[in-house]
Amino acid sequence: MLIELSHIQRLYCSDEVETTALHDIDLQIEASEFVAIMGPSGCGKSTLLNILGTIDRPTAGSYRFGEHELTALNEAALAKFRRENLGYVFQSFNLIDELTIEENIDLALVYRNMPKGERRTRVAHAMDRVGIAHRARHYPSQLSGGQQQRAAIARAIVGEPRLILADEPTGNLDTENGAQVMDILQRLNDEGATIIMVTHSPSHADLARRRIDMLDGQVVISVRNAI
Amino acid sequence: MLMTTLRSVIRQTQRHPLYVGLNVFGLALGIGLFLALTLLVRFEYSYNSGFRDVDRLFRLDTIASNPGTETREYAGTTFYALPFLKEDFPNIENSVRIQEQSLQVRLNGTLASFRGGFVDPSILEVFGLRLLHGLPDALSRPDGLVLSENAARRIFGTSDVMGRTVTVNNDGQMSRHIVTAVTNGGIGPNFLSDFEMMIPIPIEREKSNNCYSRWSSDCGNIYLKLKQAQDQASIQSHLRDFVMRRASGPDDSDIGLGLHPEKMYALTLAPLRNGRFYDAHVVASDDGVERNVIDGIGLVGLLALVLACANSINLATARSVLRAREVAIRKTLGATRKALLVQFIGEALVLTLVAGLLGIALCELLVPGIASLTGENITISYIFVLAVLPVVILGCGLASGFYPALVLSGYHPARVLAAARMPSGGRMVGRLRDGLVIGQFVIAITIVIGMLVIHQQTEFLKRADQGFVRSGLLIGSAIPSEDIATQQRLHDRLASVPGVSAVTYGMLAPSPEDKNQMTFTYDSPAGPIRVNLLQDRCDENYLDVYHPRILAGRWFDASRGQDTHPDYRKTPNAMSNVILNETGAQRLGFTKPTDAIGKVIKSGSHVSTIIGVMADMRFESPRQSIYPGLMTFNPHFSTVFQQPIPAVRFSGVPVLEMERRLGLAWSSVLPDVEGHFQTADARLEKFYRGDEQRGRIFTLGALAAVMIAALGLYGLSAFAAARRVHEMGIRKTLGATSLQVIMLLLRGFLRPVIIASLIACPIGWAITRNWLSEFDERILLGPMPFIIAVGGALAIAGLTVIGQTIRLARAEPARALRSE
Repeated sequence: MLIELSHIQRLYCSDEVETTALHDIDLQIEASEFVAIMGPSGCGKSTLLNILGTIDRPTAGSYRFGEHELTALNEAALAKFRRENLGYVFQSFNLIDELTIEENIDLALVYRNMPKGERRTRVAHAMDRVGIAHRARHYPSQLSGGQQQRAAIARAIVGEPRLILADEPTGNLDTENGAQVMDILQRLNDEGATIIMVTHSPSHADLARRRIDMLDGQVVISVRNAI
Repeated sequence: MLMTTLRSVIRQTQRHPLYVGLNVFGLALGIGLFLALTLLVRFEYSYNSGFRDVDRLFRLDTIASNPGTETREYAGTTFYALPFLKEDFPNIENSVRIQEQSLQVRLNGTLASFRGGFVDPSILEVFGLRLLHGLPDALSRPDGLVLSENAARRIFGTSDVMGRTVTVNNDGQMSRHIVTAVTNGGIGPNFLSDFEMMIPIPIEREKSNNCYSRWSSDCGNIYLKLKQAQDQASIQSHLRDFVMRRASGPDDSDIGLGLHPEKMYALTLAPLRNGRFYDAHVVASDDGVERNVIDGIGLVGLLALVLACANSINLATARSVLRAREVAIRKTLGATRKALLVQFIGEALVLTLVAGLLGIALCELLVPGIASLTGENITISYIFVLAVLPVVILGCGLASGFYPALVLSGYHPARVLAAARMPSGGRMVGRLRDGLVIGQFVIAITIVIGMLVIHQQTEFLKRADQGFVRSGLLIGSAIPSEDIATQQRLHDRLASVPGVSAVTYGMLAPSPEDKNQMTFTYDSPAGPIRVNLLQDRCDENYLDVYHPRILAGRWFDASRGQDTHPDYRKTPNAMSNVILNETGAQRLGFTKPTDAIGKVIKSGSHVSTIIGVMADMRFESPRQSIYPGLMTFNPHFSTVFQQPIPAVRFSGVPVLEMERRLGLAWSSVLPDVEGHFQTADARLEKFYRGDEQRGRIFTLGALAAVMIAALGLYGLSAFAAARRVHEMGIRKTLGATSLQVIMLLLRGFLRPVIIASLIACPIGWAITRNWLSEFDERILLGPMPFIIAVGGALAIAGLTVIGQTIRLARAEPARALRSE
């Protein structure tokens, strides 16, 4: 088992209101699975993804990733965990405007203290895999949405992570570009990558091997797609 | 439009008090410091300019070019020259002689000193001094007395003192005077501002004092009023002929200056307008100040203003991108670019106006401080401030408002409204902001380097080796009595004071023109070398009191007959032994001090053997080179000293207590003469006071510059922090630790400071090196001031941004990613 969530709860507290974003989530994900998470806005999909990605902490519950119990780790250990195990793809791409595409992708390796030569090789390889190599020296603002998302995917896979998290990766793209991104994700999964994707698109969710439906902070359905 | 602008400013203030506060405070600080330093610069530039017809007023200075010494200009001239000048130059309209002297009046049983002197009656007319009481001919009667208003109040408690009698004590000589006028100053700063007492020059003084009857002696200043300012050039061009014609005489004459006086003696007209700057390099003038130092202070004020404007531009352009949506909506609703330009410039002007008013308040606080720091009587002239302030406000308002207004009004509404993120303002605006921060820190670091070097040099001068042991030494006032018995009595009384171990008399007057000078010739193997040497004399205790360092040879010995200086009137061809100072030995061509020992030097028929070389002893300004000197030996009061200066070595008693005891001993012998003892440091203090005072102004400027620059950096870091939350979220999501994020942000924030340091250090080095070159003795310009300035700037910049940096680095990535 790659991921095991037990009784995960996430509360948001403001001055006057306490909101339950996630309520008693139990979830297991095997290595090399491609899981799509669906549900209406505000149901807790992105919160769950953030907790899976360790960029948010659960209020209660346990999160095991392989041999690690992640809820027990401090900030520095979590940062180390992220750079060694996770790759992210966001709906709004989240590329840094001031860096070129090449530099944006390289950023995922910079924090691993990897030698420059090796980084260069890996970045070139990742750009090739998503078909963005010809845009290496461009800035994000000079690329189309589809190209930016492919660059974001390249950044997510360049470190060969054990898990790729995609938060509505096609949400800001037109149909054609959306299809291209899904095609890349499927290919990565075929090559063995574990992917968890939040999406609003039923057709894209159907491309995953398993689909989880959420409502009001809880998992209501978890089914395996027939592929 | 005005109401819209005001409303907008009020709302901005309510919504973003930090930004508005930083902007206004920075501008107020810049404007306040600019106004205060401009008042100081105005004070220095207006010195003497309140005199009526100041462009026609000149002081007659002497230029001495003695063999073996640098040419020096002295602020004094022999009074003997005046009748000849009036005779030879009909374009001299009027003249006045001033023999400055501290005069005493006994008040409530104790002697009170007043700055004043003996003057010609024409002084009131020549300088157009304003009289509170009395008439311009007040000094035409020999017992007349003109008091300043302050002096009248000190003596009588009122300024209405016409006809009252005052007994004036001039070094023990009493004279009764009737107050015939009271001056009220009131014509701006000038060299007579603190003159408190004027007495007509007594006839007997003219008869008895050499400076009234010889070319070779001077004791005061001659001021000339020319018929026209242009006459200066014509008179100046004829002064050499005048000296050749009037000052020449037989070589053995006491009155003239030899057959060719023009070879070593010249006269020159020193203008009174801007005389303070002229006097910076004139010997025996206490009022001199370097023009470039005053200009430098003015520049610091101007730079403070520029810094504040740069700050304002920076904050405004940084803030402007956050107002992009407001601009887009206004444009969508039909606002023209011109209307928006006017609005944003209007907002900048309103903020600058508020800052200007705060600046006046700050100026009010700063001016008394600057007056106290500089020792100058600077006050706020509201006419001047109110004339300058509108220009400053308009200039700063436009300078700080125009560019941000141009950026803001140029946003394309469709792009801004469609964009998920706020526009960054473009690379140009970003570069401008970086450039301005770099510029701010270049200025701040340069000023700090200047301040540190001034401080180091001043401290060095205070502690520099003066050639004698300063601790446990007190030096007294010159003894006015030339009665050998009185001198001996005072010597014995001082020696009997408990704690005193030795007492000596010397001449060591701080200015060479107060001492005897004589040209000596050394017949070196390469030919004769002529050097003009200052002559001091000492007794057998000199060595025990001053502890001069002997570099070669030996000190005087009373048991060796030839050591004692002969009385040339009785034995004109007698040989004598002398000791040279190091500079004297060098000028006479001796490479090493030991080379001089046993050599013979001659002055006319006087032949002297050099028995020792001592280290240079400095009793003069550190800016002036040491004058070559010679010491002779007169033990046991064998001949009378002329106005000797007593010095005392003591131990086991606190300095203040010893000063008190020596003062009592003095007054028991000379009860009617004010005499006081002070440390060598206190005596020398006046020479470095000016540099120290101006150093404090630079400190003030440096503090303000650093503060303004730090304010700007803080504002920018706050802005950058707000903009980079998202980026930091991405970086942390990719695995960056908080420490890595902090380091990244700090590098970014400190980069402009590092670049500024690389620019400021060479500039600071060039400026301070140039300033130091004016000193005869100076520090070696080492790396410490630069390291401290750069390190301090980095530390202050780091502290300024660290709060924002840590807050940004610790933000949870999930929240950070939602920030836009």
